[in-house]
Amino acid sequence: MLIFNRLYKYLKTFFWIFGIILFLFVADAGADSDKAIMVKAVMCESITNYQPINPAVVFSISQGEVFCYSMFDPVNEKTTISHKWYKKDQLIFSMKRNLSPPKWSTFSRIQIRNEDKGPWRVDISNEDNVLLQSLRFSMAD
Amino acid sequence: MESLFYLFSGFRWQDAVDILLNTYILFRLYVLFRGTNVFRGLVAVFVLWGVSQIALTLGLIVTNWVMQGVIAVAALIVIIAFRNEISGVLKTKNLKSFLWGIPQYQIHTPLGIIAKSVNELAQKKIGALIVLPLKQGLDSVVQGGVSLEGKLSQEMLVSVFWPDSPMHDGAAIIQRDQIVSAGVILPLSKNEELPSFFGTRHRAASGLAELTDAMIIVVSEERGEITVFKEEDIIAVRDSQDLEKVLQENVGDEPTDKRFKNQAKELVAVGLISLFCTTGIWINFSKGMETLAEQEVPVEFINPDQKMEIISSTASSVKLLISGARPLIKSIRPEQINIKLNLSQSVVGNNKFVITQNNIKLPPGIHLKQIEPSELEVTLDTLVEKEIPIQPNWVGKLPDGLVMIKATTIPETMKIKGAGLALRDISTVFTEKIFLNNLTESGTIKAELVFNSPSIKMESEQKIQIRCVLSKKPTQ
Repeated sequence: MLIFNRLYKYLKTFFWIFGIILFLFVADAGADSDKAIMVKAVMCESITNYQPINPAVVFSISQGEVFCYSMFDPVNEKTTISHKWYKKDQLIFSMKRNLSPPKWSTFSRIQIRNEDKGPWRVDISNEDNVLLQSLRFSMAD
Repeated sequence: MESLFYLFSGFRWQDAVDILLNTYILFRLYVLFRGTNVFRGLVAVFVLWGVSQIALTLGLIVTNWVMQGVIAVAALIVIIAFRNEISGVLKTKNLKSFLWGIPQYQIHTPLGIIAKSVNELAQKKIGALIVLPLKQGLDSVVQGGVSLEGKLSQEMLVSVFWPDSPMHDGAAIIQRDQIVSAGVILPLSKNEELPSFFGTRHRAASGLAELTDAMIIVVSEERGEITVFKEEDIIAVRDSQDLEKVLQENVGDEPTDKRFKNQAKELVAVGLISLFCTTGIWINFSKGMETLAEQEVPVEFINPDQKMEIISSTASSVKLLISGARPLIKSIRPEQINIKLNLSQSVVGNNKFVITQNNIKLPPGIHLKQIEPSELEVTLDTLVEKEIPIQPNWVGKLPDGLVMIKATTIPETMKIKGAGLALRDISTVFTEKIFLNNLTESGTIKAELVFNSPSIKMESEQKIQIRCVLSKKPTQ
């Protein structure tokens, strides 16, 4: 009986220690994925007062530029995200943006010319290169 | 020995058939035409052909050209000049004897009967002209005559030359034990050295003796003298015994066994000569006219891993420089040459293959000289499946004042299958060009998906729908 009591105590101690270690790992992992949560991402014609103007999926080259707007809420700690601009699956340029707590809006922009007509996409990914969203749009006449 | 091996390298069963068939044809020509003037003509044509080939080998272009012309003319002359003999051979032979029959030994010519008959004619001073053909035919030399085909007897031979007989003026031709024809006209000799007392019969006998190997017996009508003509010899004969002796010396048959042996020896020799000649001609054709040729051959990849796919190859076909006899080169069919590359040891990615003689199958008698390119680089990849989003490819211009705020494709994604390397950089499947100019309100549009890579396959239909939402552009 004494042996069983001792075994029970050892197991109890082992599970406490194991539980604490597991909690620390999960908490760290959860904190990593929750550094910033994206709540909005759109392609738009311009940005005014940190807000996207005229979101659309087709843009005329006559406008001269296109914006990719993304909004994160909350931002738990300082982190970075990237906007990668692709034309027909070919990376044209990539831009890193810093995010700061408690919430943050950021954007990237591209000047458009006649040669840029065609299907485009912007991949928004976090600092671990996890894809958060792909925004697909076209540049037309 | 090495050069002999080279001559027969790449020897095919077709070549053996070719040589044997033509040997037999040559052999049959000899059997059918031996002893005739046609045969001598054919031998002459063959010799001329040999001369033209020697001229060709020595590079005597004009001589070769002239010889070819002469051969053509000579062949024509043989056919025209000896048409009677040729038609005689073709008429008298049935199909069996024409194709494989060997002429039997001649039946003994009863020389005693001839001698006695001639002696009787001489005693009675009855003029006679008797021809005994030997090896050479007479058809192209003699004219006219009445075909008798009668069994030779003293009475019959005497009656042919009896003064009241309608055939007594011409010559009687005796073959084996038959009087073949009578009243035959012989060519007259133009020899001015003949004795002046020789009449027309003697001149005719001399004329035939000059042209053929036949033996001709003449009985003088005026003097009752017997004269035998054989080639350049003119033999005066006293009586039947003397005549029989002369005939026996020139026309007499050998014993049967000896004749059989001689004929067998002759035919074997002719067979061997025919084989030798045909083989020589075959070597001349197959090796003498060796030529180079270039063949473009598609490469066949064998034993590929079922999970792998060939993505690219630096070349799909290879140029082979081959050599061989011109007729063989000309007769090559595309399926007779192939190049096989074994992919069983290949891996994902780039694989280098050196093409050697072992990879190439050539027909017999054809030799490989060069391979271009001799090295191939083949890229292999595994097949993978991937689900990728669809994106419309808008072109043109939206009507003024409108903005497209949303476009959703139905379905949103598409499953594609293809080589892993090829799919690695593909993350979107695009539609065909969709014109914006005609869009005036929100709605659904049909469009087809476009894929330029042939190695990638889509799992479902290529036609999709796009639901687009248009709105009026807010005024600024």
